[in-house]
Amino acid sequence: MRFYYLNIAFFLISFSIISCNNQPKELPYLGNVEIVNGQELKHKVGTIHHWNQDSILMSNQDFKDVIYVADFFFTSCPSICPRVIKEMLKIYEEFKNDPMIKIVSFTIDPIRDTPQRLKLYADNLKIDHNKWYFLTGDKDQTLKLADTYFVAAFEDPEAPGGFDHSGKIILVDKDGHIRSFSEGTDPDSTPKLIKDIKTLAESYKK
Amino acid sequence: MIRYLILSGLATTLLFGCFETPYVQGERIYKIHCQNCHMDDGSGLETLIKPLNNSSLLGSDKMICIIKTGIQDTIHGENDYLPKEMPAFKQLTPVELTNLINFINSKWDTNFKEKSIKEIQNSLEKCNF
Repeated sequence: MRFYYLNIAFFLISFSIISCNNQPKELPYLGNVEIVNGQELKHKVGTIHHWNQDSILMSNQDFKDVIYVADFFFTSCPSICPRVIKEMLKIYEEFKNDPMIKIVSFTIDPIRDTPQRLKLYADNLKIDHNKWYFLTGDKDQTLKLADTYFVAAFEDPEAPGGFDHSGKIILVDKDGHIRSFSEGTDPDSTPKLIKDIKTLAESYKK
Repeated sequence: MIRYLILSGLATTLLFGCFETPYVQGERIYKIHCQNCHMDDGSGLETLIKPLNNSSLLGSDKMICIIKTGIQDTIHGENDYLPKEMPAFKQLTPVELTNLINFINSKWDTNFKEKSIKEIQNSLEKCNF
């Protein structure tokens, strides 16, 4: 009997050592790698040409010195969006004081979601407008952009609110590569994303 | 030895079973219709979606009416407005409503009193549809 316990203890200890060693020091690069002229090109997010809640035009250049998490939503969304925004709020609270980390929410319903309406939405979330950008732009371009963030988003008159989309929260590094994601509809997947954001932020501080 | 283990295991599962929410049907309806906006813990979303966990309407007739009729509200700004709507859940039967209301009240109303189907039906008759 005693040997039995010893065995279990030994197994547990070795298991924990192995799993500690397995922790990745660097987050993976998600998406397909293209080979052009013998050079490996890692997947990048598409072109950002969107207005924020203060009606300021933003582009990919504005994100070259920050890492950010992004989601796709719309203010009149009656289905999963509030849940996803709630998880984004948790991430916002966690990194409120780190200027290197930003939060971005793209609306997929730009006709209704004007910068003014997005401002009202953001005001009601009581967030810092220089930390969390609510972006609106051309509808077709935004739906195509969602694709490059691996978020399925398309118009569907049958879906609640007129759009069908997934609730993924995507982590993007300074070069526009996707490094991690969580399911915004599953609160249990948020702590892992927060850990990944810390790992990524740390990699830039070395 | 093994027999004791099994017995005590069974006893604990039974014991924990008793502490679980008795309103399983209501919880199911909450998950389908309410949870996406009002959240698992009933906390809502800042000033955009009202919380349930500290609502003054817990236990009231008004909450029953609101579930049936929904709410049409707007947040006004300088240059635009933001609709703040709750859909109407007309399709819920008095039985489903009773299960749902008892689940919500049992979870967050500190003065919880179970409502019967009859009471819910009486409340519904008083709503202004």
